Amino acid sequence: MKIKFLELKDNYAKILFEDTKPYFVNAIRRTLIADIPKLAIETVTIYDNTSALFDEIIAHRLGLIPLPTHLDLLNFRKECSCGGKGCPSCTVHYTLSKEGECIVYSGDLRPEDPMWAVVDKNIPIVKLLKNQRLILEAEAELGIGKNHAKWQVVCGIGYKYHPVIEIDAEKCNLCGACVEACPRDILEIKRKKLSIKKIENCILCKSCMEACKKDAIEVWGDENRIIMQYETDGSLTAKDALKEALKILHKKYEELEKIL
Amino acid sequence: MIMPIRCFTCGKVLASLFEEYKKRVYIEGEEPKKVLDDLGIRRYCCRRTIISHPVFMKDGEVKELIDEAAQYE
Repeated sequence: MKIKFLELKDNYAKILFEDTKPYFVNAIRRTLIADIPKLAIETVTIYDNTSALFDEIIAHRLGLIPLPTHLDLLNFRKECSCGGKGCPSCTVHYTLSKEGECIVYSGDLRPEDPMWAVVDKNIPIVKLLKNQRLILEAEAELGIGKNHAKWQVVCGIGYKYHPVIEIDAEKCNLCGACVEACPRDILEIKRKKLSIKKIENCILCKSCMEACKKDAIEVWGDENRIIMQYETDGSLTAKDALKEALKILHKKYEELEKIL
Repeated sequence: MIMPIRCFTCGKVLASLFEEYKKRVYIEGEEPKKVLDDLGIRRYCCRRTIISHPVFMKDGEVKELIDEAAQYE
């Protein structure tokens, strides 16, 4: 199997797998969604809330804020040596204290150590008017996407077969119907020839095949080449998330091997 | 009420992008399509979450329902 990054940014990756099968890429996809540990706020103690939102809504909004996750420094609370009471190696504490008139942002969450400071500081949590107050304490812990969506690292993950477009130059009469039908603007007529601009952008909708009266164009997906793309919410980088997913998959197969 | 933190469907963080969207679309009158593309919002699930979030104009400012509700504790 060959792996190539078609695009790699901090929070976004587009990967091409070659010589592979859909079930293999699907295993990676499912691990990325459900099994990577991530830090998120789980327990909130509210001391004062005179804002327009209920305590529960605020706690829910806090939970959805992506927190930076240093996986080498943290354990799951259940598996921690403290026995689930909450210690520095399984729990991260945040405090928030704000009085109106203002908007409370995620950046107002103060961690005990600056390394846990929230990545995206501009998420509005609630709006306060004059004399309204919000004072709370929050505990964040590790979890996985299987248990709650707030612990899901990746979003918008999906894969598709690599598109193949075959043009029969003898049948093609350059009418341009397929160029107009393509929603992704992939086809063009250049120097009296129908050519393809960027094949990765094809979504295999086959509109061009339907539009062609001469049956000169054919589109299908190559099962052995798969393009996968995903975003992360900022708690882990796209590369780290993939590394972690592969580590987890590897561990699972090792366990299976031991049983045999 | 107040902008949801994440996209209902895919979970992308949107609340932090909404302030720029609000400013550029409702005050400066830009085309929503262009602003969404600039903000890097690719999927249609995220695009509808942003587009369909209700706001209204009052005293020349873009308000959300929370601005009205905030008077009542």
